[in-house]
Amino acid sequence: MNWNLQHQVNVALNREGVIGRRDFVRGISAAALAAGSLNWTDVVSLRADELRREGMACILLWMQGGPSQFETLDPKPGHSNGGETKAISTSVSGIKISDNLPKLAAQADRLAIVRSMTTKEGNHQRATYLLHTSYVPTASVHYPTLGSVVSQQFKNSACELPSFVRIGRNFANASNGGLLGTEYDAFVVQSAERMPDNVSPTTSTERYQRRLDLLGRLETAGGASTGSGQAHDHQKLYEHASRMVLSPQMQAFDLSKEPDKVREAYGKTEFGNACLLARRLVEAGVTFVEASLGNWDTHDRNFERVRTLCGQLDQPFAHLLTDLEQRGMLERTLVVWMGEFGRTPKINLRGGRDHYPRAFNVALAGGGVRGGQVIGGTDAGGENVTGEPITEKDLFQSVYKSLKIDARHEFMSPIGRPIKIVDGGQPIASLFS
Amino acid sequence: MRTKYLLTTLVAFGTALGLATSAGAATPGTIVSEAPQPTKSAAAQVDALLAQEIFLNDSTAELAPVTGDEVFLRRVSLDLVGELPTPAEITVFVLDPATDKRARLVERLLADSRFGRNWARYWRDVILYRRVEDRALLVSQALESYLTDEFNKNTSWDKIAQAFVEATGDAIQTGQTAIILAQMADANDVAAETARIFLGIQIQCAQCHDHPTDRWKREQFHEFAAFFPRASVRPTFKNGQVRGVEVVSFDVEPRYRRPNMMFGRGALEHYMPDLKDPSSKGKLMTPAFFATGRKLKTGVPDKQRRTTLADWMTAREDGWFAKAFVNRIWAELVGEGFYEPVDDMGPDRACTAPQTMQYLAGEFAARQYDVKWLYRTILATTTYQRESRPKHNMDEPAFTANCAQRLRGDQIFNVLSAALGLDLQSIEGRGPQYLGMRFGPRFQFNSVFGYDPSDRRDEVTGSIPQALALMNGQFVNRTLVGKTSGTPLGKLLANTKDNEAVTVELYLRCLAREPNNDELKTCLEHVRTVGSRSEAFEDILWALVNRTEFLHRN
Repeated sequence: MNWNLQHQVNVALNREGVIGRRDFVRGISAAALAAGSLNWTDVVSLRADELRREGMACILLWMQGGPSQFETLDPKPGHSNGGETKAISTSVSGIKISDNLPKLAAQADRLAIVRSMTTKEGNHQRATYLLHTSYVPTASVHYPTLGSVVSQQFKNSACELPSFVRIGRNFANASNGGLLGTEYDAFVVQSAERMPDNVSPTTSTERYQRRLDLLGRLETAGGASTGSGQAHDHQKLYEHASRMVLSPQMQAFDLSKEPDKVREAYGKTEFGNACLLARRLVEAGVTFVEASLGNWDTHDRNFERVRTLCGQLDQPFAHLLTDLEQRGMLERTLVVWMGEFGRTPKINLRGGRDHYPRAFNVALAGGGVRGGQVIGGTDAGGENVTGEPITEKDLFQSVYKSLKIDARHEFMSPIGRPIKIVDGGQPIASLFS
Repeated sequence: MRTKYLLTTLVAFGTALGLATSAGAATPGTIVSEAPQPTKSAAAQVDALLAQEIFLNDSTAELAPVTGDEVFLRRVSLDLVGELPTPAEITVFVLDPATDKRARLVERLLADSRFGRNWARYWRDVILYRRVEDRALLVSQALESYLTDEFNKNTSWDKIAQAFVEATGDAIQTGQTAIILAQMADANDVAAETARIFLGIQIQCAQCHDHPTDRWKREQFHEFAAFFPRASVRPTFKNGQVRGVEVVSFDVEPRYRRPNMMFGRGALEHYMPDLKDPSSKGKLMTPAFFATGRKLKTGVPDKQRRTTLADWMTAREDGWFAKAFVNRIWAELVGEGFYEPVDDMGPDRACTAPQTMQYLAGEFAARQYDVKWLYRTILATTTYQRESRPKHNMDEPAFTANCAQRLRGDQIFNVLSAALGLDLQSIEGRGPQYLGMRFGPRFQFNSVFGYDPSDRRDEVTGSIPQALALMNGQFVNRTLVGKTSGTPLGKLLANTKDNEAVTVELYLRCLAREPNNDELKTCLEHVRTVGSRSEAFEDILWALVNRTEFLHRN
């Protein structure tokens, strides 16, 4: 199947080098690959089923605003840039993190901490896009976001829930399905404490079913007044959406189904609930979940504010790792913790730190990543990276490697320009050894 | 059913008009323009040219018949004013015996103020779907108002384009700043978008390397970008607080740079990066227009750079400018462009019907880029008025039918409101306002149903959240109540006792047509089996707004 798809990608280039997805699919039926009734989604899910056997999933904990590395994973006590933040020992000897994160410190054996992240984008919107796509934003190509790529590359067709879910509202400029199409956009849940919008029928299930039946009969009776392709796609979409609405799997969105003991362990806070929901969704077969914690843009009162934020982060993050491990899910679930950049080493006059993309932190756990290690570092004042600098491309190469996705895979842009999943960079070798 | 159409009629028509059989071998980008002709014969000439260029040589061409009045009325209403005709309008139009009623309808809708609004929203999406930052949404409302007025006044397309290229001012008040703002004044991106939107050329591929399929060189792209290095975006303040952004000309070398405070402000001139040494300053670029080779000098102030480019770009002898607009509007109306995607016409791209394109673009330019003339002409063609079909396969000829296509977010919002019997004006006023932008039901709706109108239309697909919003959303279900007379549906049921009449009325409201016999039978049967009349019609209205046809224009 892989070979066929690759072959079709080649076939899909006509004389002008441009071809649409529909034509590409028509090419497939012409090549007698199938009975001729395949549409684009079918073709993608054929490939997706192959990859799904790997059963991988990913949870991205997105720290909107740019968390301070000094107050989280790269403290510099004893240097004037380090401020009042202290370093504490972790479960791995030799690795110290900030005293703001004591529970996470106990999980250090599961964490790979990248201290030498470096990019060139110091603007929230551009950097958020960069750390979600590995590309800088541009008008000509809408690069798909990480979650869209992952769910496009392996959608779990046994799962009746959306394959890519975002929890919360802190996603300005995080991109979406882009050139992959709206079917790979994130399914957004405004708050983990409520069911998603519009998933509950406004009538009894019986009457809802009756309406769907009537809809089906009227579509048939109405004849081919719209194109058969559109009617076919519409019907499939409605089947999918109503299967989801009526699916028992929708209970995954309902946190009240979780024993109180577990809810307590996650902390029953907004971010705690988001982490618990992320675990429930992955357990139910969702491929990619993005949960966010905002307000890391600490231009003033940095120390106080980051301490509060870490209080919201520490327990849910730490318990998510424990919980995934206990359920035997950690090995196939990559957890990524990051924000769009770090904060300046110099503390400004308002006791704050400003934007600093030159040296900051990312943490990875699970998904076959070797924990208990630190990758790269920074000099005494935290101003420059030491050791191997890790760019956004290297990071994305690593994430895709963990998820067993070929980052060299090319998508076709609407004007026929091939776009690599990641253009350049190298996976971080020590993550996988 | 596909009906064979008599090609000979069309061909005879073409011969009668004295059409030459061989195309003028025009070089790409130039336009052969003849004396302006009245619209009706221009439409006939388009049909005749298409017959000559495509259908005569292709034995597989099966032309769809001209569509009936109901479908035509729905199509042209959606295309021009973005809304459905009312049940009363449908009845009057269908019964009108006049032979020129289609042309008169088109005139009436072109004069309707909703025409400007509908197309303003289209171009708002063309520009803002390519934004690099959400802050650019600040210009959204101003952009929509500006274009609504210009289209309703029938301002010529060159004047509108020039206003965008030359724009400065506060985003919240100055819609013309949208293209620069959407790209945060990055010279490369503004250049790329200007070429894409107004010239239909994707020259940005040449930003990093010589274009693989087009003839432009990397240097030509950067010469073009050199018209824009001085256009900048900066925040505006009120009482020390940021209240918005504005586009300004920047003609003085910055003494210092504050990151995040000013965008697109780096140097006064544009430099082409040295690919072998990316950290070096690169090569100084002289502003030059790639299509004609006309050049400015370096050191020229921002205003002069941009007004000069605006003039050169829209000059009649250039040709790309007229073709880009014609291709887009033709594609929107007929459902398929001469070039696809609509904004990628580069010099070496294939055109489905080059003589027809040359003719239409030449006439459009000769009439000083008269926007309404172009609509009037295309809508009068038999090609536009044919029944619709799904997009044809690659090996089948183009333009044998109108292509059914999905409605844009704004159109769906309008159609849904009308189907539910809601008054658009009163619901538009709802929702919070922030910096002149209303985040009401239309905004929310568009964030679920909108799409980039430059994308190939046959690739725009529905999404799960869209299906959920129509099936279970509050907007639909709050109004979908039949048992009180406080809702539009309840009122209809209370005032109309005959179930067949109610069914017909709901079909007219939702789909702008009467139900066929099977549909009518299915609906009346549903009323019988359900028992409760109000519940049954709630179900029927629910089903109608969830149908494929509801979301498409045929």
